[in-house]
Amino acid sequence: MNTPFPRRRLAGTALATGAAAILLAGCTAAGPSTSEAPAVELPFGPTTPAASGPVDSVTWMLPAEPATFDFDIDSGAAENTVFANVCERLMAVQPDLTTVPHLAESAEWVDDTHVVFTIRDGVTFHDGSPMTAADVLWSMQRHAADGADESDEYANVVSMEQTGEREITVTMAQRDAIFIQAMAGNGGMVLNPRVVEAQGDAFGSPGTPDACTGPYTLGEWKPGSSLTIERAADYWDDSREVLAGEVVFRWADQSAVVNALTAGEADGSYLDSPASAVPLQQVADVSLAQGPSTNAWVLLATERGPLADERIRQALSLAIDRSGITTAAFGGLAQPWKTPIGQGAWGYETEAFQAAYDELEGAPASPGAADLERAKALVAEAGAPDEPILVASDGGSVRNVVSNALVAAAKQIGLDAEIVTVPSAQYGDFYSDEAVRGQADLFSDEYYISKNDPVGFYKNGASTATVNFVGFSDPDYDALVKEAFAATDDAERSELAIELQRRWVEATPWISIAQSPSTVALRAELSGVPASAAYLYYPWAADLGTTEG
Amino acid sequence: MTTTATGALLRRDGLARRRDPLYAVSLAFLGLVVLVAAFGPLVAPYPPDAIDFTAIWGSPSPAHLLGTDQLGRDLFSRLLLGTRESLIGPLALLAGATVIGVAIGLVAAWNGGWVDVLLARITDVMFAFPGLLFVVLVIAVFGKGPWTAVVALALAYAPVIAKFTRSIALSELARPYVDAYRVQGASAVHIAVRRVLPNMTPALLGYLVVLFGEGLMSLATLSYLGFGAQPPSSEWGLMVQEGQDGIVLGHFAPTLVPGLAIAAVVVAVNIVGVRLSERLGARA
Repeated sequence: MNTPFPRRRLAGTALATGAAAILLAGCTAAGPSTSEAPAVELPFGPTTPAASGPVDSVTWMLPAEPATFDFDIDSGAAENTVFANVCERLMAVQPDLTTVPHLAESAEWVDDTHVVFTIRDGVTFHDGSPMTAADVLWSMQRHAADGADESDEYANVVSMEQTGEREITVTMAQRDAIFIQAMAGNGGMVLNPRVVEAQGDAFGSPGTPDACTGPYTLGEWKPGSSLTIERAADYWDDSREVLAGEVVFRWADQSAVVNALTAGEADGSYLDSPASAVPLQQVADVSLAQGPSTNAWVLLATERGPLADERIRQALSLAIDRSGITTAAFGGLAQPWKTPIGQGAWGYETEAFQAAYDELEGAPASPGAADLERAKALVAEAGAPDEPILVASDGGSVRNVVSNALVAAAKQIGLDAEIVTVPSAQYGDFYSDEAVRGQADLFSDEYYISKNDPVGFYKNGASTATVNFVGFSDPDYDALVKEAFAATDDAERSELAIELQRRWVEATPWISIAQSPSTVALRAELSGVPASAAYLYYPWAADLGTTEG
Repeated sequence: MTTTATGALLRRDGLARRRDPLYAVSLAFLGLVVLVAAFGPLVAPYPPDAIDFTAIWGSPSPAHLLGTDQLGRDLFSRLLLGTRESLIGPLALLAGATVIGVAIGLVAAWNGGWVDVLLARITDVMFAFPGLLFVVLVIAVFGKGPWTAVVALALAYAPVIAKFTRSIALSELARPYVDAYRVQGASAVHIAVRRVLPNMTPALLGYLVVLFGEGLMSLATLSYLGFGAQPPSSEWGLMVQEGQDGIVLGHFAPTLVPGLAIAAVVVAVNIVGVRLSERLGARA
């Protein structure tokens, strides 16, 4: 075996520095042996194989410590991962990301402006009190209140009333096809008003009880250290098997999460990025699985100028090497993707969406000669911009790869592009601060939507949408968005969504790069949890058990 | 290496250069580095930013002598082309810091009294403030880029040099020849710059070469933190930063190659510098 540093060997030996010698020796041992290991395909699907027996206690890693469990204040991935097991909603997201009625027995549009929720009987809160329609109405009004984190879900709501012993009628200003689905998210969470009011402002902070109905109750929360949830003593749904006895949550950044899993100090984690799973592939005792999510990496075009002409955007989309990016940045654990949302968004009419996706053009996984020719022709037609195209990076590994790939793509088709580095702390300001957007023509980000409906995303292409920075404007598109929001029939809405998707991909206001699946890492003897992004709202711990009976 | 009486004798005979292999090799290595800095772009087999997604994390091969990084870029070419940027920075920062530091140190030592106290307090304050933190502050105010980093680091290094200069200048100024020049009526500036400074040079030089290593590493640190060179530059510190994601996957070359380059240059400069100041000191 050759030393990997033939040129440096002379200098290294001559200098005879102990450190250099040790480093060099370390490298010859590890360097070439790990080269070009083919990426192993991870199992992909809504769930991991069903568990065959219960487990007493598991330690689960979160990306951060939960800040509060008052979801009307704020919520993120950490809070949702925990309270998906503790709290329940009117509707429920399933591991396959479809939505079914849950605390509501049914939810129906009775006419163009009224939705009726029929509340399930026999549900009890963790304090033993029964859940009434009045409790549900109180919860919905709390979520809808001005300033509440979930109030945007209630934007079209005119009024909410209890219209029967177990019936709540919501009056809407217009049909809103997303509303019922949104009730599977935190906007549809049902809280026990007696507990919330007794706690007052302290509700949601460490040391206060939860106010929910779910299969787990909140145990001890030691701030800065750990948080435990325990199997609820008498969960209302007897038919629901609840496998894990307790889950102890700890939190750390991603590299520490990976280390904890590798060292066997943690039993599992929903990873922040598929890239984190790459080093875990070599750990024998950890099993990995991926599932659909709505997350996708995209390059968002800004209003700065050079990309105003859609032909330049189309050309870049044709020339960028998506599969190169997924290999380099995600170790092959993300997929080249033609649309700006992951397949987890296909919460209904999945086959229709898949078929339409397959037919999309203009965003090849790897550009072929024909794609590059077309891209060059588009550039020639539009005329190359006078200034170089600026693409923002934050020095992080994914953005570094994406930006470099864009620069390479631009070069290939006769365009000039440069990278500008923006600190990661400032990166989020690209959405809110025009001055920050003035620094770059494209910025990369992982975008996701909370509802599994493409319509919820494609509204971003309307000429009035706040994130349509580049100013894509098409009156037909705007009309389609309106129509799609009013279409409460799934088949009809999917057709409209597919048309929106086609128009979006054609105009490419954002350049789609890769879909970033939800990724779960588990101790090898555990199984059962969903692999999809459903873990944010679905009681996954109830399905978590051992593989041997 | 064994230092014996013969060795000492040889050195006195002026034959040390030929019999000091460590010095010779270090000097030759630095000569090579300078050549690379000057002509690297002509030798490099690939452009430093040429991405090849089919050759990610490649092992060393005839096509890629040192392998490739996370974007399939040729590490050998990147190393060659990064040499210039990686070396000019520390040299410039050292030059700047030396001018400021030596001036402050000499003035303080020469004047003594309240000037000395005042300058000592100023350098104490700058001394007490962590250098890197100061640099980050300067960058926050003046924006980032390789040259802001160099200027900021020069300011951060100046107090250290000032303190050192003052202490050796004090002992130098106590020597009789200084008084002799004074008696002859030579001006303070003339004595300090033309007479005292050259006599301090060996000690100062020995100190400066140690600082060169530190300066190179500080600049690499800044690039590593994202405050110095910007991608797709192949400055060595930035190369280490960009390559670190591979470590956890077992791909050490992208960090090790520039890391070793930094280490080798620092070590070689230290060896050459220490020997050089010894020799100058012996002559003086």
